[in-house]
Amino acid sequence: MEALDEYLGPPVVLEDESDSSDCSSRKRHKSKLPLAKSKLPLAKPMCVEAHVENSFQKTCRICLEHVREAMLHHRWQEAAEYMASYTQVLEDRSTVKAQPDKELVWRMSTEILHHLPNATVTDYNIIYERMKHSGFKHYLMICLEHSFHLMLHGDIEAAKHQVSIAESWRHGKESVSQLQRIRLIHAYRSLLDYIMWCEKKSTLSNDNPFESDSQGMHTFFRLASTNLQEILKNPGVWDPFILCYVEMLEFYGDNEEAQKVLNHYAYDNSFPPNPNAHVYLYQFLKRHDTPDKKLMKVLKHLQVLVPSHELMLTYSCLLLQSEKESHTQKALGVLLEMLDFQCWRSNLDVWKCLHAVIHQLLQREERATSVQTQMAVRNDWWPALHFTSFHAKKDLEENSELFEVKASLVEILCPGQSPRYTAEMQMLTS
Amino acid sequence: MDEEDTDGYKEPCNQCAAVDWGISDEGRFYCRSCHNVIERTREVVDMSFTSNSNRISRIGNKSRIRKSERGYIWMLCEGFQFILQNQADALLRLGVAPQFKDDVLCQMWRLYLQKSQQGYTRNPIRNLRFRGAALDSDTDMDSAAESVLSDNFTDSGSVLCSSAGSNAESSSDWLGSDYSSTGTSASWKRSRSLMTMKKTLALIHLALVWSREALTLSDLLRLVKEGHVPYVTAYEDLPEEMKLCGPDALLFHVESIPSHRSVHKEAQVLVQFLQLPAFPPIIPEALLHPAPLSLRYLTDANLPDELHRWVCVLMDRAGMADQKRHTLDGGLRPVLPRYDLQAAALIIVTIKVMFGLDDHTEWDLSNKADSHDDKADMFSFRKWYKLVQAALVEAQQRRDQDTARKQWKGKKLFFVDKRDRLIVTKRRRISENVQMCLKRLSSCPVAVHYGGASSFQFCWGDENGSDGPSLHHTKLDGVISLSNGFMTPLNLNYWHPPLRPCNPRTCASHYPSMEPTLPRSFVWLLQLFSFMLDVEAWYLFDEVLEMERRVFGIKTPQIGQQVETRKWLRTEKTNATQTGDPVKKPRTPRKGRNGINI
Repeated sequence: MEALDEYLGPPVVLEDESDSSDCSSRKRHKSKLPLAKSKLPLAKPMCVEAHVENSFQKTCRICLEHVREAMLHHRWQEAAEYMASYTQVLEDRSTVKAQPDKELVWRMSTEILHHLPNATVTDYNIIYERMKHSGFKHYLMICLEHSFHLMLHGDIEAAKHQVSIAESWRHGKESVSQLQRIRLIHAYRSLLDYIMWCEKKSTLSNDNPFESDSQGMHTFFRLASTNLQEILKNPGVWDPFILCYVEMLEFYGDNEEAQKVLNHYAYDNSFPPNPNAHVYLYQFLKRHDTPDKKLMKVLKHLQVLVPSHELMLTYSCLLLQSEKESHTQKALGVLLEMLDFQCWRSNLDVWKCLHAVIHQLLQREERATSVQTQMAVRNDWWPALHFTSFHAKKDLEENSELFEVKASLVEILCPGQSPRYTAEMQMLTS
Repeated sequence: MDEEDTDGYKEPCNQCAAVDWGISDEGRFYCRSCHNVIERTREVVDMSFTSNSNRISRIGNKSRIRKSERGYIWMLCEGFQFILQNQADALLRLGVAPQFKDDVLCQMWRLYLQKSQQGYTRNPIRNLRFRGAALDSDTDMDSAAESVLSDNFTDSGSVLCSSAGSNAESSSDWLGSDYSSTGTSASWKRSRSLMTMKKTLALIHLALVWSREALTLSDLLRLVKEGHVPYVTAYEDLPEEMKLCGPDALLFHVESIPSHRSVHKEAQVLVQFLQLPAFPPIIPEALLHPAPLSLRYLTDANLPDELHRWVCVLMDRAGMADQKRHTLDGGLRPVLPRYDLQAAALIIVTIKVMFGLDDHTEWDLSNKADSHDDKADMFSFRKWYKLVQAALVEAQQRRDQDTARKQWKGKKLFFVDKRDRLIVTKRRRISENVQMCLKRLSSCPVAVHYGGASSFQFCWGDENGSDGPSLHHTKLDGVISLSNGFMTPLNLNYWHPPLRPCNPRTCASHYPSMEPTLPRSFVWLLQLFSFMLDVEAWYLFDEVLEMERRVFGIKTPQIGQQVETRKWLRTEKTNATQTGDPVKKPRTPRKGRNGINI
């Protein structure tokens, strides 16, 4: 979840503060630093000496270098040894550096634990608990990561306990960053509620479908839904959460609410553009046998965001089935745009669909002008993308049916080009 | 109210390891930092009669004792006296002569107390606030002071009692009340005589020089670094009664081992401050004299013993055989010599004379030595370089790892007040827990275990665990020629870095800017010796330059140095360019004059 450099470097905000004061000292020490070290991109923010570095800080700096070195080379035992002596940095009396140090200790020790074969849950708990209480700044983040860790190890109860502790935690005025984190924590708590709801559901359906423990299940639903309802109003990407919410709503038959939520998630302009939102809406509508017209509307929006999406094949099929002329035109556009992308190049279904569309168009108009107008912008690069002799050879080898479909379309799509694609065929047959 | 009740309960919280207990309305204990409620409830005990009855206070009748403070009221210098005493004891255990402690260090300490007006004076420094209260006890001060003078460190109890008695009664300069409350000029004056941890080392160094012990300053600092002499956690050894509190307690808090340069400077200042009389002469037999000291460094660096003769020749040439040059005399020669650096610089200059160290001559000479019939017994620079380089790299890595693993925090917590104690205890708990957890998983001792104290960094010989075969017995025949009954080095060239006007007051060392242009073998040799002495390379380089000036008779490193150099070059009858780099100097009759007559 976190990028690697976040483990290794202090947070960006803190860098800015220290940079100005370190400039002079860095210059001063430059000649003494080995060249190789200063070239390492990671080394910069960490290794800058404080203006007056005492022996204790020097020890810590060198120790940290050793830890990092060992971690980068996957010598985890050694890293753990050095890390054990690095913890004395937590006892540093100067308070300026304390925050980044704490974060370093927390992140690096958990990372080391991940790689030690004999690490137990107790060890993780010790580190998470101790670091959590070492200062208030990282409290929420550590709580959250702690519960992630527990979640990964399948201890949902404990994970939920952790998140609920974090949920009820307050320190001073709520700053912006704290607010964000609290929101995240609420979201994950609801996710855990959902997981427990699912567990209840499966036991209910498997063991004894007639037992009426639906009360407990419903409690989880209520807990989760109240939170999720609030959270999903905030702009952001809430993909896993909205899926849970929708699933629960559907289970209880509240389709209207589910559709409302999904619609809001997909079409509210304050949310960041999110293709998944449209996909979820489409899948929901599909599940509930919504007429094709509505489905096409959703897919139209998705097409704007991701023209190469796999649902576009469905979209063009839907367009083709409606048999309206404007829709056939649209289908042509969609398919051509799909084929602009490398990933669809040798997909038989797409080419077949394109074949069908073009034939339908040719039945209506003699010269297929619409094809030509669409192809006008592609004429200079499509032959190189789809119709070289190399492609011909490859298609023939892999899928002769694809070759045939493509060969039949060359003349219409790229008229006037030297027929290298079909020439291959002639060469082979002769 | 809570604090009184929770004061006795010092167990860390299970949840967050903090020791910050509060009592809820129901009388239950809860942790204030994580709100964890524990089983314990408030004990209803009548605290009124237990509060201070068993806390013995020496001067309990004085009203200025705060009730909450336990134990004695004591002065800064008493604390430092204890630390000095522990340090001296540690040195005695390492084999320093017993006279060092009682006859030398003790006297110097008394002198210091007197000069800084902290003791042995009619009018000791005192806090202005308490002057009135203190005056009445002045009468019995003389007797107290005399009793101290007749005592010595060995029976420490009596020293503490008498000095503490005299000091505490005659002045109220007690910890935590003093150094902040005086005026600017006074505090400036005080700050010069204010005792610091660094000053303890400077004082010990002076005492060692006085008693002509074989411990140089770099040795002392190494002993400190390796923990043989208490320094970093010296505060732990203070007696139970001496509690550190208040901002001045930070004077005892050490997070750094001072550099060779700073301690030397401090010692130099102390010499002037104490107005010490002439030191006992450093005779050639004394181990601080460059002759025996250079032999020691030659052995450590695995250089042939034969080289020592040449070092002595050069020493004569530099006029350094004279014992007066090494003896500190308050009036005539108030400069404290840097014995270790001098000896190392002498060796470097000797090697430079013998082998050229211009990245060509030394390798040519080794080729010659390697092709010699009697190869095994001949000293070859190349062979030596390969051997020592491997050991040096290994030792450097070892030192680097030891630095990384060094634990700076003592077992006892260091805090200055109650609030600080809470914070420090909590931090210690957290750090300890995380450490324990990682230690258990890595199953390896964390702390650095230095072996026994040794004067040598390397070990050469055939025995197990040595850094390589010994070259001490090898002959220098390959680099020496015999002409007219004089032994002279084969090498005829000597280079010198470019000379330029330089004001020593404003200029820092030129080594960083000069380093890339210097021959690699010379730089390597500097690194080797700066590693052995554990000083920075530039510091040793400056000493080498100084030594060259002395050997080749350049008077002073002042502005207009160039002119003098020209003069020097002329007298040496060279045809080298004046500021040429490197200055080539043909062999001069000087070598012949000083050559060893066989």
